[in-house]
Amino acid sequence: MNWTGAVRTMLVCAILIVLHYTLRPLLAWRASVDFLIVALLLGSVRLRPGAAAVYGFLLGLVADSIAVSPFGAAALAMSIVGFGASWLKAVFFADNLALNGFFLFLAKWIFDLIFLIVGHRAVGPELAMQIFVWSPLAAAVTAVAGVLALSLLKPLMEVRTA
Amino acid sequence: MATAARYGSRVDAGLLVGCVVLSVIALVLKDEDREPIASALRRSIVAPLVGLQRGAERWRSAWVTSEQRQLVADSVAIRGIKEQAALVENEQLRKIVGLGSRLEWGFIPAEAVHSAAPSEEVVTNMTLTAGSVAGVQRYNPVVAPEGLVGVVQTADPTMSIAILYTSPDFRASAMSADASAFGIVYPHSGRGSAAYMLELRGVPTRVQLKPGTQIYTSGLGGTFPRGITIGTVVSELKTTEPWTRTYLLRPAVSPSRVTTVLVLTAQRVTQGTGNVWGGAVNADSATRRIVAANDSIARQAASIEAQARRAALDSVRLATIDSVRRSLGAGVMPEPTDSAAARAPAGTPIAPHTPTQRRDTTRARRDSVRPATNAKSPT
Repeated sequence: MNWTGAVRTMLVCAILIVLHYTLRPLLAWRASVDFLIVALLLGSVRLRPGAAAVYGFLLGLVADSIAVSPFGAAALAMSIVGFGASWLKAVFFADNLALNGFFLFLAKWIFDLIFLIVGHRAVGPELAMQIFVWSPLAAAVTAVAGVLALSLLKPLMEVRTA
Repeated sequence: MATAARYGSRVDAGLLVGCVVLSVIALVLKDEDREPIASALRRSIVAPLVGLQRGAERWRSAWVTSEQRQLVADSVAIRGIKEQAALVENEQLRKIVGLGSRLEWGFIPAEAVHSAAPSEEVVTNMTLTAGSVAGVQRYNPVVAPEGLVGVVQTADPTMSIAILYTSPDFRASAMSADASAFGIVYPHSGRGSAAYMLELRGVPTRVQLKPGTQIYTSGLGGTFPRGITIGTVVSELKTTEPWTRTYLLRPAVSPSRVTTVLVLTAQRVTQGTGNVWGGAVNADSATRRIVAANDSIARQAASIEAQARRAALDSVRLATIDSVRRSLGAGVMPEPTDSAAARAPAGTPIAPHTPTQRRDTTRARRDSVRPATNAKSPT
């Protein structure tokens, strides 16, 4: 990835992070869009897995510091998701919007799974409800929003299919 | 090349492990240990994001608050409208109850459901919740406390359809309050609000109605009983008819406000509604009473005058006969009609008659008049 591409990616990720902290609180949906996951995936697929893990870790720390959640849970989940996204980018991140959507859905769901289990946010039936109902819904909404963002920001993006 | 790739993979794995380890450490830290880290992040790198999030939350809060305020305002407005509607309905029902109590019998109460075809600009008919089972028949008048609404067009067992005065098929024989002008009421062929006006046609040219004159059903034709309020004269309309006048009427009833009506039965139509709507019937009956009273006084006066004239003629006739007899030397005829003689007790000498014609005439007149006066006194 050249410098131009890197700057573009950073710009898009910055936009998505800003959206996460502006649009998301405004909408306040029960199953809300996670723009951080979209930003994480967009960045991770352009980085080596190790760098993607660090990127995820930093994003997670930001999320943990602002959100009322166990400090470190988001960092852990995003590290793993970022590493996985970078490692599997050749498999999933093709020029196919549906595949990209599925990839986003999967990433968000795995993130929630790790976040909920590690962070002890819920237990028993509530945890099951969260994992099997609200998390997939949030993942679907995130996937849709991510696909839309990808479509809109396509001119700015330069996907490297290793 | 392979060594570099292997090295890179190890670095990647190491970084991942490092991140995971750091995350786990962050997770297992006590609250008092990790809070300073989070706080330091919030005050430094994440501060702009915290500001953004706070601003967005404020916007959201303001939006929700305004929505809630709007909801409260809406609910208050809706409650006010409902209350107003309830008050109006209450007033209408009170009026209907009042009309029912004045009518006493011969009516069927019904709720009115307005129905207008999409192509129609004005409401021309309404569905009534009473049908033939309740006694509603075709051509029964439909009335409201304010006056005439329409006439029943079809009567099914449980419901009926009435045409309003706005319908092109509506006609009603009408008259002015003082019964000086008669005509036929038609719906006015106008657009918009004018479509709800009426026309009084066929009023003779010699009769001129002033604006504000109340118009009532005349009872002619037998469909509507006499005295139901139809409307008020607004102005005269210019027509090509040379011998008749046409007037624009403002109806007494607004169809949109009619929710409950009374259907007058055929028997009630036949027997009339009396002074229920006031005005015409009141004035008419008063006029009739005055005319009747005048007639009776005139009759009595004429009767007295005729009796007096007859008595005077009798006395003249008797006085003439008496004076002729006297002049011929014949005795004076006994006067069986002389009441003085008749009233005198037995044995009382009756004073001799003074032979003057005037006294006889006067006496005869007095005696003749008395029986008539006595006959009149019982009345």
